This record gives sequence, C-alpha cells and structure tokens, in this order.
Amino acid sequence: MTAGPPKSRYDIPAHASADDPRVMLEEQIGVFESIPPYPPRTEREAEFYSLGDGQMFLNIGPHHPATHGVLRVVFKISGEQIVDVDPVLGYLHRGVEKLCENADYHQAICYMDPLEYVSSLFCEWPAVMAFEKLLDVEVPRRAEYIRVLSSELNRIASHALFVGFMALDLGGLTPILYGFIERDEMVEMLASLTGQRMLFNYFRIGGVNGDLNHDFMSRLGAWMGRAAEQIEANLGLLNENEIFVRRMRGMGLLDRETAFSIGVTGPNLRASGVPFDFRRAHPYSVFPELDFDIPTRQEGDCLARYPLRIDEIKQSLRIIDQCLHEMPDGPVMAKLPRLVRPRPGRAFAGVEGPRGLNAVYAIADGADQPFRMRVHDPSFVNLQLLNLMLPGNLVADMMAVFSSLDPIMGGIDK
Amino acid sequence: MSVVGSSWRRLTLPGKVLAVTVPVLVVLTIGLLAVVALVGPIVIDVLAANMPLVRFVVAATAVIIMTIPTAFLVIYMELKVIARMNLRIGPDRVGPFGALQSVVHGLKVLGKEDFTPTGADRLIFTWAPIVVFLASIMTLLVIPFAPGLFGQDLNIGLLYFFAIGGLSIVGLLMAGWASFNKYSLLGGLRSAAQVVSYEIPLTLSVVGLILLAGTMSLNQLVLGQSGSLFDWYIWQQPLGALIFLIAAVAEANRTPFDLTEADSEIVAGFATEYSGMRFGFFFFAEYVNVFIMSALAVTLFFGGWTAPFDWPFPLDVSLDPASLGIWLLVLVTVVPVLLTLLFAAPFWISSRMPTWQALVIGFILFNLFAVAVVFGLAFMSFDWVVGLVWFMLKSYVFVYTFVWLRATLPRVRVDQLMGFAWKWLLPASLLNLFVTAAAIVVVAR
Repeated sequence: MTAGPPKSRYDIPAHASADDPRVMLEEQIGVFESIPPYPPRTEREAEFYSLGDGQMFLNIGPHHPATHGVLRVVFKISGEQIVDVDPVLGYLHRGVEKLCENADYHQAICYMDPLEYVSSLFCEWPAVMAFEKLLDVEVPRRAEYIRVLSSELNRIASHALFVGFMALDLGGLTPILYGFIERDEMVEMLASLTGQRMLFNYFRIGGVNGDLNHDFMSRLGAWMGRAAEQIEANLGLLNENEIFVRRMRGMGLLDRETAFSIGVTGPNLRASGVPFDFRRAHPYSVFPELDFDIPTRQEGDCLARYPLRIDEIKQSLRIIDQCLHEMPDGPVMAKLPRLVRPRPGRAFAGVEGPRGLNAVYAIADGADQPFRMRVHDPSFVNLQLLNLMLPGNLVADMMAVFSSLDPIMGGIDK
Repeated sequence: MSVVGSSWRRLTLPGKVLAVTVPVLVVLTIGLLAVVALVGPIVIDVLAANMPLVRFVVAATAVIIMTIPTAFLVIYMELKVIARMNLRIGPDRVGPFGALQSVVHGLKVLGKEDFTPTGADRLIFTWAPIVVFLASIMTLLVIPFAPGLFGQDLNIGLLYFFAIGGLSIVGLLMAGWASFNKYSLLGGLRSAAQVVSYEIPLTLSVVGLILLAGTMSLNQLVLGQSGSLFDWYIWQQPLGALIFLIAAVAEANRTPFDLTEADSEIVAGFATEYSGMRFGFFFFAEYVNVFIMSALAVTLFFGGWTAPFDWPFPLDVSLDPASLGIWLLVLVTVVPVLLTLLFAAPFWISSRMPTWQALVIGFILFNLFAVAVVFGLAFMSFDWVVGLVWFMLKSYVFVYTFVWLRATLPRVRVDQLMGFAWKWLLPASLLNLFVTAAAIVVVAR
C-alpha cells in the first residue's frame, strides 16, 4: 500500500492540479483568515487585523445592498457589536484628477460630472468657477442666476433621494419610491434644460450651455405650485414613525470640535449646530443678493441630519422662487475663444453642495490643459466619521449612520 | 395475413401507437376493475379498521397540497399590494393582472442550480430547509378550517401548535451554522434569539384564553365563539389578542421584526447561501407561515370559521317555483334577455364588434353567470363551504395586514427587538394572565 497524500475531507481527487479551485479553497477552510493575506503594512493595519477573543471580521461590501455604491467596510465584531471599523476605498477609482490633466479646460468639465452622480451640477460648478478665475472671465448675470436655479433644483433632487435611501436602509420600502417621484420630476425638468437626466454637463466656462426654455419653465411652474405640500406629504410616513425615530435618535453623535478637527462640512456639520454654509461664509455667484436662511440643529445625531435636509429643501425652494423673480435678461455665455490658454497661476473655487464643500484647486501652466487638478469631495471627509461613530454600536446601526452621512461613492473614490 | 399486414403498413406513427396502446389500456382497465371488485371489500375493511390513521394520512397530504396555492396567493398579494402602496404597478405580465407571477417564481426556483458552498456542512445544509418547511406546515394539521374540516382535533391542539412551530428555529439555526457564511451565522443567531424571546409572550398571551375557554382544542375554542361577532374572544381578551398579534409578526419573521433576513444589514440572513429549491423551501415556509399565523389569530380571537353575523338571506335553495306566481314568467322570459343584453353592452359599445358577435358573447356570459349563481347557492347550503369562506376571508384580512405592515414600517434594531419582548410584551402578557385569572375567580363566586 502506497502512502498517498492524506485523504481530503472534501473529496478532492488526488490528481487535481494545483490551480484547481477546490485545492486552493481547501487550504482556507475552517479558518477565518485575517482579511489582507499580506503582512500588515502599518501599525494601524496590524492592530486592526489581529482578532481578539470571540471576535470575527465581517465584510460589508463592496457588493452589499446597503452601501450606496461600492464601499467596502471591514468590521471587527464581537457578537453583533462593532469593535473596530476599516473602510476600504477605491473600488470605483477612475483617476478623475489625472484624466482632467490630460483634457483641455472644456473637456475637463465633463469628467467632473460623475463624481457625485446624484448632484452633478455641484461637481461641475467649482471646476468651472476655478477655470473662470484662472481666465479672469466675467460671467453674465443671467448665467449666474441660471446656475443657482438649476443647482438648487439639483440639491432638492439629491435630498429627496437621501430621504428615500435612508428609509430603505432602515428597512422601509415605501419612502424611496415617494422620493423618486419628486426626483424624477426634477430630473426630467433638468433634462429639458440640459439635455441629460443625470450627468448634465451644463455649465461652461463663462456661462451655461443654453438659456431657459419653455419646456423647463412650464414644468418648473407646475412643480413649484405643489412642491412644498408634496414633500411634506411624502415625509409623513417617516416623521411620526416611532421605529424610525428610535433607531436614529442619539445615534452617531457628532460634536462641534470633532467636526472641526475632521473637516466635516455641509448638512452633517450644520446638524451639529455650526451655521457654516459656503454660500454665506465665502459668497460666490449671486448668493449675496439672495435671501435665505441657514438651518441648523443642535443635536448632532442621525435624526437631526434628516429634518435639517428637509429644511434645506425648503430654503432651496425659496432661492428658486427669488431666482425666478429677479433673473435679468441678457446673454448666458461670455465671449471666449474655443481654445483657452490661461496664464500660469493657481485658483481655488468651492461651492456648497448637498453634502458639503465641493471644491477644486486648479493650477495652470500656460498650456491648454490644467497642469494639476485637485478635487475636494465632501463625502470623502464625512466618511471618516464612520471610524468615530460606529465602534460600540451594533451592525444594524451602520446602516443608520452611513445613510445619515449620505456619502456618494463616485466622489469618494474619484 | 396480407389484409392485417397492409392495414398496419398504412397506419401513420400515431395510429400505430394508438393501435397498440388502446387495447392494452382496455385490458388493464378491465383487470383493475376486476381486482378492485375482488380485493376492494378487504381494503375497505382494513381502511375502516384504521380510520384515524387513514384520516391522518389524508389530512397530511391535503395540508401539504394546500400550502402550494396558499403560498402562491400570499406571495402574489405581497407583490401586488406592496406595489400599489408604493405607487407602482407590480407584476402584470404573467396571467391576468400578473396572477401567475408566483407560479413562474416557483418554476424558476425549481430550475435553478442547487448550489452547496464549499466548506458547508452538507448534511445539515441540506436538511435545514426541510426542517423549516415541515415545522411550519405541520402546524396546519390542527387548525380547523371549517366544521368537520380539520386534520386532527387534538385536545392539546394549541400546545402542539406552539411546540411544532417552535421547531423552525432549529432549522434556521442549522441553516445559519451550516452555510459557512458570516451573514448566515448572524442571521441564524438573530432568528434563534428572536424566536425564543417572542415564543414566550406568544404562548403566555393565549394562556388567559385557555383559562377562559377551559380547553386547548382549537376546535372547541372555535365552537366556544359561535354565535355572532360579539361572542369572539377578542372582546374578552383584547390585550391578549394585541400581544398575540405583535408576537405573531415576530414569530413569522416579518417586517418590522424581519431581522433574520434584513437585506440592508446581513444580505439575506440564514438564506444567503441557499439557491434553487432549497431556497424555495425557505421562501415557501415564510409565506405559509404568514398564512398560518393569520389563521391561528382568526381561530383564537376572531371566531374561526363562525360567521360574524347571521346571513340575512336563507341560503337553502328550497325555492318553490309555484309560489312566485306571475314573477316566474318574468324570471324565465324577461330576465335572461335583459341579462344577455346587459352583458353584451360593454362589448358592443367599446369595440367595433358586429352586434351579433356581442350578443353571442353576452349570451355565453349570461350562461356562465347563471351556472355560477345556481352552483354557488347550492354549495353555500353546505355548512363547511360557508365556514371555509368565512375562515379564508378573515385569514386573508390578517395576511393583508402583514403585507401592509411590510410596506409601511422600517425595521427595528436587535436590542430594541429583544427589549420590546422582555420589557413590554412579557409583563403585559403576565398582567393579562393575572387579570383574567382573577376575573374568572371573581365571576365564579
């Protein structure tokens, strides 16, 4: 009797070649391996990927119904309790900044669109604004008003989606479809203005692509008449829902100091009681002439971030109203050559997006392409809060915290 | 010879097949009849001697077969009702109004690959769905659907129900453990914790009822509620009924207590690694469970198959034509014509159909209507048909409530779920029990 290899528990034939998948699986069976198969590269990695007694790793994502996009979060859990969190980014990395450096100034704008794909106008705007600063172009006032009008519409669309997805992450099936009704209306409106439903590519250096048209205006008028009422009605399903409130209240607390030290912006910061809004703090476009409030909440928890966004929707409606009343006549594009070559220099431009500060830092070297583009994305900064908020909570709380921060993976992975 | 041979050659292939099979079938039929005639009496004697066993086998078979349309109907209801609540259309492709959607779902599940992940514990992995499925449908055996229409009238029916129903946790735990998947493991543990916690208030909430009724036989419980709407136990046990309904939602793993398969947290819970018909069994069991929990709620608190009020019209068709007098003439001559015209009208108005075609369709529809009315009345004069209709109506009201909850509510968290069971439901059900017991003592004096 010849002494062969030991008989496998999983009936793998002895003659199986080394790259038979079963052979490779055989080595891992029964062992919950640390997730990176390589030796740890940093101290933090070494600390995270060493399991304590009764702990295990749980991968949420990159293909998981609750992560909006392709975020992968590695949890170290003990039972259902989260001990430590390690978000792994980069599954959607496209190298947008590098792409922009290889396109001329006009082409670079369309690369910015898919960053935050639910609020594309807010990604175009800072790039356009930075290039305008480099070129020293005066934008026609009508174009500025159209920019404000369309981007505030986009903000409402984004927030409407936020409400729906937050409910969906907590297990409510219905609010997302109500949210989508409003969003569809706005998206169709913007499509009639820009020609696209999602990635608009509407802003141009020195203005916008086209003037307001009849289709857009009639849709907007019909929608504005019932918007506030409709949004209130849709929210009834969540506002008085005891289960929803119980899950969100006191969850994911963020205080002012932590928010400042991390650099959180947008609704997440304002929900912690800081009335910081880029539209007021560093006024751009025609916002100094518009009358609107900066809603804040003092609680700083997940529940506070939800009504705050609703308040922002109402403020956006106010802004749209004023834009429609005060919009001057005139051209919507400045006179510019087709090929622009700004003088060497550097420019920073930021706008207040639905998730916080969307900003672009562009360096020109005199060529027709930006020498360097740096994109600041608010979701990327906000996502770091996961590490602070989650440990000590349950796995189910990840969904509440994550959806209340409202990150968009397109922007995070760039 | 030549005649037979040439005839045989002239036959086509189906003809040849028939020429062989028909005589064989005739011979077999005659033989079977002979066997039945000879052995029949003996078989009937044997069956009659073992009547309880025969009854059990027949009932078990009927119950298993019954679950299939039940699950299909509940699934279709869920798809369609939630769709309408979400302002969607829902399934509308397969069958009228998409009614066959769940049948197609079932066929799809049958046709899928039956996958076992490497590293799974094959034996337990295979048996888990079967345990879950059997545990849920075996409880149907004691539920009285109508007078005389029940599997077994156990004197410990309620106890049997909870004991067998509780077995499904074992299956869920098996699935969670054997899948070799962390989501499954978490789902299995969650389901074990949840079902164990909610089993206690569920059982305690009906103890007051048992004290009141003095029996645990579901059949006797239903008989105790016969009469009208106001004889139902819900009026005597409102708190118990409320606790029972809440715990039943948790027991059936439905929203807002569907943590075991919380799709935004642990993907599909214990069913993550299952595919094909094994997943189908879980799916099936879940939806049959919804029906079973509704049926039990109806049986315990809402009068079972008893009618909520006396039917105001006499249902027996002992109609004496002579008593109608002149109206008989009207009924025979005018009513058919009127109804035919009525049924034909929409076709005649809405399409460019020739008048005679519309009239033909109207006449056919009238005939169907008449047959339905006559047979409907005839069937309604049977006790068990009326009982079954009431029972199903009431049960599906509760199934609808389950679906409604799913469309409305978000999901609770694990600790809130457990806290709710232990801090609220359990004390409340104990209170209910004590108050009921005290009331019984006081009334007895």
